[in-house]
Amino acid sequence: MKSPPTVGQRDKVVHVSALNEYVYCPRRFYYQRYHDEIGTPYELVDGRSKHQNQSNRGGWITERYFRADELKLHGKIDLIESEGGVFTPVERKRSESGQYYPSDEVQLTGYCMLLEAALNEPVNVGYIYLYSTDERHAVRITDRHRRTVREIITRIEEMSVGSIPPLTDNPEKCEACSAREYCMPAETARLEPEKAAGTGWEDEI
Amino acid sequence: MKASEGMYDEAVLFVTRQGSQVQVDGGRIVVWDVDGDEGRLASRPIEKVDTINVFGGVNFSTPFVAKANEHGIVLNYFTQHGKYRGSFVPEKNTIAEVRRAQYALSDDAELEIAKAMISGKIRNARTLLSRKGVHGTEVLKDLGVRTEKATSKDDLRGTEGEAAERYFARLDETLTDGWTFETRSKRPPEDHINSLLSLTYVFMKNEVLAALRQYNLDPFLGVLHADRHGRPSLALDLQEEFRPIFCDAFVTRLVNRGAITHDDFRTDNRLRDDAFDTYLSKFDDYMQEEFTHPYFEYTVSRRKAIRQQAILLRKVITDELDDYHPLTFDR
Repeated sequence: MKSPPTVGQRDKVVHVSALNEYVYCPRRFYYQRYHDEIGTPYELVDGRSKHQNQSNRGGWITERYFRADELKLHGKIDLIESEGGVFTPVERKRSESGQYYPSDEVQLTGYCMLLEAALNEPVNVGYIYLYSTDERHAVRITDRHRRTVREIITRIEEMSVGSIPPLTDNPEKCEACSAREYCMPAETARLEPEKAAGTGWEDEI
Repeated sequence: MKASEGMYDEAVLFVTRQGSQVQVDGGRIVVWDVDGDEGRLASRPIEKVDTINVFGGVNFSTPFVAKANEHGIVLNYFTQHGKYRGSFVPEKNTIAEVRRAQYALSDDAELEIAKAMISGKIRNARTLLSRKGVHGTEVLKDLGVRTEKATSKDDLRGTEGEAAERYFARLDETLTDGWTFETRSKRPPEDHINSLLSLTYVFMKNEVLAALRQYNLDPFLGVLHADRHGRPSLALDLQEEFRPIFCDAFVTRLVNRGAITHDDFRTDNRLRDDAFDTYLSKFDDYMQEEFTHPYFEYTVSRRKAIRQQAILLRKVITDELDDYHPLTFDR
């Protein structure tokens, strides 16, 4: 049995969902982490209710929490498919566009790594299920994926409240971002243009 | 650019009906006439509301208070005539990192923020007078320049006082026949116009307080107003730039358009009950009214613009922006 985390440890492990948040936009992640300032996006509320509807199907393992101190990672896997002794995590996404994003792949990799650590055997495939198309995509988890996750964990560990990440390099992401009202990317670019220098917002104003 | 539509317009709820109770019904806030037989008086989605102001004999049901805590809704209590009595503040309404940054502000940093706020206020005072056709306000312009050179808070307070005096001396010219503004008087306001100004400053202070609380700044630790127990100094500081352009403009509109007349006042210069209700609904409408933002070039409601200023203030405090950028109107 693992001993409960100490005060120091608890803040040091990274939640798998943070991987996705960080890849989407480090600045948005910063607001969420230090300022509790991301609002509640419609997608999340909608996704939650869909999770609730679908989490009772038979044969699958649902809502299982994992923690791997050696990876500095923890998180809850909403759905694990088990077939012939093979366990495969499933990450479900709302995705109106009908596609999944690199950040979703990173998140799925995080789940696979957690599962690997718990089972002590490799988990080389995960699924991304998209509600919008009712399709399930198999993702082969490579060493490159795992390296990416480790790098992001390191970057998240190195974050500090005193240094805010720059505005995103892709302003299109801001369109759907629930932190936009607080982040004020366009407004920042207008009020203090030097703060937008070198970001995707530099030429937007 | 666009601002999200209607984001904060329904954020503040005013409840004045005596004997009513605020309850929760599924995902909605419901004001119920428990003493009378009118049933449901108003209802709003709980997600949209962040502040509820109640006046006099209005109750909150216990399940509602639990929900308010969960959703971060601040409850402000006033007497029936609008005197502030206290607040219920949800437990999550403190982000340690923001508070740390606010408490760690240096004297110089505070002075810089305060200078921007007061210079914004003086700019807006000139703009309001000029909109109303009052000219010859160069002295205000000079005082605005002087704020930028202030070397201490006392120095800045002095300039602000002089500007206020000059400004109020001309405010009379903006009023329609039958209304005069002699001099600014408070505690108690000595005439109807001063009474309306005082009331509006109180309501604006509450708007600003709600905005600061929403973004987890401590409204009681100011950058210019001196510390005094129970005084929301930071709210008073942030309110400065809005006083002429939003508060005084609102009061002149109320009297110039005849929405409030001398008959609406009691002998102690307070509004009669029904006139107070009229006032409140006009104030709320005014907060929701939209204008073209002078720098962002989209339309925003006044309420949202005030919240944006709270965000901008927080961004200077947390070192995300270099300067405080007051909301100023050049014309």
